[in-house]
Order: sequence, then structure tokens, then C-alpha cells
Amino acid sequence: MIEVKNLVRTFKSGDRTIKPVNDVSFELEQGTLASIVGKSGSGKSTLLSLLGALDKPTGGDVVVDGVSLASLPDSKLTEYRRRDIGFVFQQFNLIPNLSAVDNVMLPMEFAGLRKADRLQRARDLLEQVQLDPSKHERRINRLSGGEQQRVAIARALANEPKLILADEPTGNLDEQTGDHIIELLSSLSRNHNTTILVVTHDRVLANKTDRRFRLQQGKLTEEPVRGRAVAATA
Amino acid sequence: MSVLARSVGNAFRNKVRTAAVVAVLAVAIGLALAMLVANQAVGAKVQELNASVGTVLTVNPAGGQGFEGGGEPLTAGQAATAAAVPNVSAVVGTSTLRLRNAAAAAAQTAQAGQTGQPGPGGQTGQAGPGGQAAPTLTTSLTAAVDAGTLGNRNQQANGTTGSTGTTQQPVRSLPITATGIGAEVDNTGKALNITQGSGLGDYSAASTGALLGTTLAEKNNLTIGSTFTINDQTYTVSGLFDAGTAFGNNAVYVTLPTAQTLAGTPGELSSMIVTVNSMDNVAATKAALQSALGTDKADVTQGQNLQTAVSSLDSVKNISFIAFIAALGTAGLIILLIMVMLVRERRREIGVLKAIGAPNRTIGLQFVLEALVLAALGSAVGAAIASFASGGIASALISSNTTTTTTTGRGFPGGAGGGGGFPGGQGGPFGGASQLLSSVTASASPGVIAGGIAAVFGVAIIGALVPALLTARIRPIEVLRGE
Repeated sequence: MIEVKNLVRTFKSGDRTIKPVNDVSFELEQGTLASIVGKSGSGKSTLLSLLGALDKPTGGDVVVDGVSLASLPDSKLTEYRRRDIGFVFQQFNLIPNLSAVDNVMLPMEFAGLRKADRLQRARDLLEQVQLDPSKHERRINRLSGGEQQRVAIARALANEPKLILADEPTGNLDEQTGDHIIELLSSLSRNHNTTILVVTHDRVLANKTDRRFRLQQGKLTEEPVRGRAVAATA
Repeated sequence: MSVLARSVGNAFRNKVRTAAVVAVLAVAIGLALAMLVANQAVGAKVQELNASVGTVLTVNPAGGQGFEGGGEPLTAGQAATAAAVPNVSAVVGTSTLRLRNAAAAAAQTAQAGQTGQPGPGGQTGQAGPGGQAAPTLTTSLTAAVDAGTLGNRNQQANGTTGSTGTTQQPVRSLPITATGIGAEVDNTGKALNITQGSGLGDYSAASTGALLGTTLAEKNNLTIGSTFTINDQTYTVSGLFDAGTAFGNNAVYVTLPTAQTLAGTPGELSSMIVTVNSMDNVAATKAALQSALGTDKADVTQGQNLQTAVSSLDSVKNISFIAFIAALGTAGLIILLIMVMLVRERRREIGVLKAIGAPNRTIGLQFVLEALVLAALGSAVGAAIASFASGGIASALISSNTTTTTTTGRGFPGGAGGGGGFPGGQGGPFGGASQLLSSVTASASPGVIAGGIAAVFGVAIIGALVPALLTARIRPIEVLRGE
């Protein structure tokens, strides 16, 4: 269960104060696949960073399974990112000189898994995201954009996180690969009870999520998804 | 992939840059190791010199002019006086004889009689501690050192080859130095290096035993137990010693009473070797000894040239140590700058690692290990450079610091007459300083290299820690926001 309470993030830009996230509150049940849509610069990525403890809010709090992130020191926030969060970045942000399997193994190494275990799990995950086994040992810079995105998703799943935060996961992909990624995220949410929050411009993806939010001028509103009612907690 | 494997991989990410960094590091580390090797070699030599002759004073008759004589001989009474001076731990008397091959001496005497030239000549090559004219005795031994061009030219210059122009001159024969010693030391106070046989036992009693230099024994086909004669008296070879030089090994040692009996001067000494109980007391004891013996009776010397040589070596040691530290610091600075550059270059990657849960210590360790990989590569190449260059660097340092200090000691320089000078360049306080300095061998021992590399790794860790700590300050959102 993720509770976002009156979250505020402000930036100074010269004399102006910008509020990309302004008093945002919502709750997500475990296993929910949700999306945030909005114009470029509307604060979607900032909100994602706050939820993933990459950034600290100016006000408000994020509570994950009853634990307030605002109260945690940096070392505990690192542990939270390692254990509970899986990031999928728009630019993939994989380590270019490492192979696909090494990239997936990284979070497991930080979590202290034995080498044999993390190697096996990394291979399993890469198979789950349907990366050709012949490309498991290939360096990242020798993989296509779609293949890199699959590796990035596999890396996000490495430590079986409670929450996956995906920033434009299909933004750099062709339609066919994008569809596959959408299917993959949906099945993860269904089969692994993983909460997935996706920031996207992709209407198709947004329409396939359980809940859809719109961020406009820092304010978050929930929109009805086709065939579903707006959740009461939004 | 472990942190170590990732660090090794990162070190080779940009092979051209890695090669350049390793090359620069190797020069700095090689220089540091070479300086360390030179420092250790010179330090060991200084220690050796101080241990062997650093506390030795030599007493000669005042006004002595080597084998040319001059002054009054020293006596047993003066030896007792010297022994009573505070801080003197030992006094060893010596009596120096000059031996000439009996056959060569007879031929030369006969020739001198024919040509009317005075003998024996050819002595200017001898420079030694004897303050009195050393008695010349005959022996069955043949000198192990040939007169050579210098010896014969000198003989001619002294008029000992005759001037008839038609008479065939006898082959020039260099004399052999025989020294009576009151203890098992050479005439510089240094313990004899007996390589075969044994010493003479009681050096205060007359005996028919003798110690021969290795080359002299070889020249005369003598081994332990062989006999030879001095003034028709038979002596047995008790042991062979190695003085380290050809001239030093062209010598005979007998007990002091034996030499005094042979010379017909019982109770007289050519010189005294006085050992002081510590380096700190040498200067004061020298003054006290000079005062006790009288300036008109004896000259007390400390081997000034050796002191200067040791001082020069100390200076070389200091310079090499400073250069070692400087080169080490340079290596550390190179690593620091390279790692700072790498951290700046990989800010985004560090941000990503933090975003996926890498602790600061893991990221810092990765950069430290990467620096150590570069240091290890630099050390490997640097050690190879040092093993080839350390000898040359040490020699260059020593020669540039001792050119003004390697003057010869007392007595005749000996260069023109047969080279070397008494006692034949054994490394004593009378003229062997330059040889001492040149005998410093800077070999890159594994221990020294290992110590040096450990220091390099220490510096590399320090150099890498600063950039590693910088990584802790990188906030993932700052580098990822750029997306």
C-alpha cells in the first residue's frame, strides 16, 4: 500500500517559485497498474522521483506499507530503493560497458545475493522479458532500443520490488515493441502482485492501466479508465 | 560481476587512455622505486662503512712519508699510552715490511752495480701508513701485480733502469707488502676476510704462520700448508684472505712480533689502529689521543676522505629519499586527478547506480579498486623500469655528489708509480674513498620493490579516496533530471 499525502515539491528559478508537484495525495493498493499522464513539464517525472526516493519533497510525505519516507535517513532511503523500488527510465540508463545479464545482476549484487543465485535469476528475468538468450552476454551498446528497454525492465524486477516506477517506458520504442512492453507490465502487475506506476504520453498504455491520473500544473486528478470507475481514494 | 571485476573492466573501458595513464604512472612509480632502491643501497653502504671503519683512528709517526720514511717510529709504550685514552676500546699495532723477490732483487742489485745507478727505485707508487722507511726484505714470493707500463716508466723516471742505453735491464718487479698485525684485522682496522684456512691464532706471539692474499697465493701456486721464505726463513701459509682488490690481495700478514723480528726493530710500530667505542666519541678521542701522544711524535687521522665520502653518501641518501617521496607524491597526484576526471565523467552512471540501490561505500570502493588496478599496472611497468634504471640512477646520484670529495689520503698518491697506492685500494681510510663510493651496488631487491609498491598502493588509495568520497555527494536526481 502506497499513500501519498499532500506532497509538494518546489524549485526556485530566479525570482520565481515553481511547483511541479502541488499538494498531491492519492493511494495505490498493492498490485495496481496505474498511469500518470500530462503535458511535458507538468511534473510527472518529478512526482515519480519523489515516490522513488530519488528526490526529497518540500512538503508532505510518501508512506509505503506504513513507513514514512520523510523520516528515513539517506542510507535507509538507499535500502528502500534497492529493496522496494524498481526503476524503468525513459533513456534506459543501463551501464554501457556491462552485458545485459550483468546489468540485471547489479541490484541483486547490491542486495547481497550470491553470485550463482543472481546469475540464474538474471537469466530467468531476461527470458521473462523475452530477450533472446544469445543476447544475454551481449554488451548493452550492441542491443537495440527495444532490447535495452527489456533489459531495463528485467533490472527493475531484479529484487522483486513492491513498486515499479516507469518513466515513458514505451517512449523510445516502435509500436510493436511498445505493445509488448505494455503486455509485459500488465502481466507483471497481475501475476506478481507488483504495483506499477507508469508515466506516459501513450494513450494506449494509459487506457490499459487499472487507474489513470492526470497531472496538470502540479495538481493530480484521477480520470476514469474505459469501463472502470474512478477509485474513491483519489 | 563483482565490484572488483567491474573495477577491472572499468579500468580498461578506454584502452588508449588507460595506456597513457599507465605510461605516466609507470614513469613516476619507476622513478620512485629507483630512488628507493638507491636510498636503500646507499643506506646499507653508509651503515657498513660506519660499522667497519667509522670508529677507527690511525696513528702514524709524525712527518711520515710512506715508505720513504721520516719521523721517529712509534713504540709499544705509545701504544700503551693510546690504550689508556678514554673511550679507546682497542689498539692494534702494525709493522710494515716491504718484500722483494730474491731473484729479482739480486739481478737488479747486480745491474745497479754495473751501471752505477742507485737502487732500489720504483717506489713512488707506494703510498702507505708507514711513517718510517720500511725495511726491504727478500722473499721467495713473486708479486701478483705486474709492474706494467706505469711501473716500468716510473722505474725509468727514477733512474733505476740504468742509462747506458745498451744494457738489457732486468724485468721490473713490484714489491709485496708484509704487515705484522697485533690482531686479525687489516692495516685499516677492518676484520680480515679469511676465505680459506684459518687465522694466525695468537697475534701477540712470534710464529711461522702467514696469511696470503688470494691473488698472491695463486700467482705463487701456494695453498694452505704451502711454504715460502722471507729472508731465508720458512713460513707456512695458514690462511688466505680476500681484500677485494688485486692490490689488496698482493699482501702478506704475519704476527706483529714476527714482523718486528724480521725488521730487526723489536718494540717499534709502523702505525697503530685505534678503535673508539662509538661514533659520537671519535672526534673527542682523536683530539685526546693527539694530545696524549704529542703532535711532534704522532699524527692521528680519522680518514677524512672517508668521512667526507660517508657524508656524501648521506647526502645522496637524503636526496634519493626526497626524490622517492616526490615521485610517490606525483604518482598519487596523477591518480587523484585521473580519478576526479573519471568521477566527473561518470556522474550519470553513479547516479544510476545510486538509483538502483548501490550504497555509497560500494561505489566508492569501485573507484578505489579502479585506481588500484591502474596503480598495479603502473607498478608492474615501473618495477621493470626501476630494475633497469636504479643502478644507473644511483651511480649518477653518487658521482654527481662525490666528484669533489674523492681526493686521496695521506702519503703518495701512487697513481704514476704502479697505481693504487698502499694498501692497494683495500678501502681503508687512506685513499679508497672513490672505490668505496663506486662499490655501492643498487640492485632492485624484491623486498625493496615490494615495499615501494606497497607505498605506491598506499598513495593510490589516498589519491582515490578523495574522488571516491566525491561520489557520495552525487545525488541521483541531479544527474537523472537531465533526461
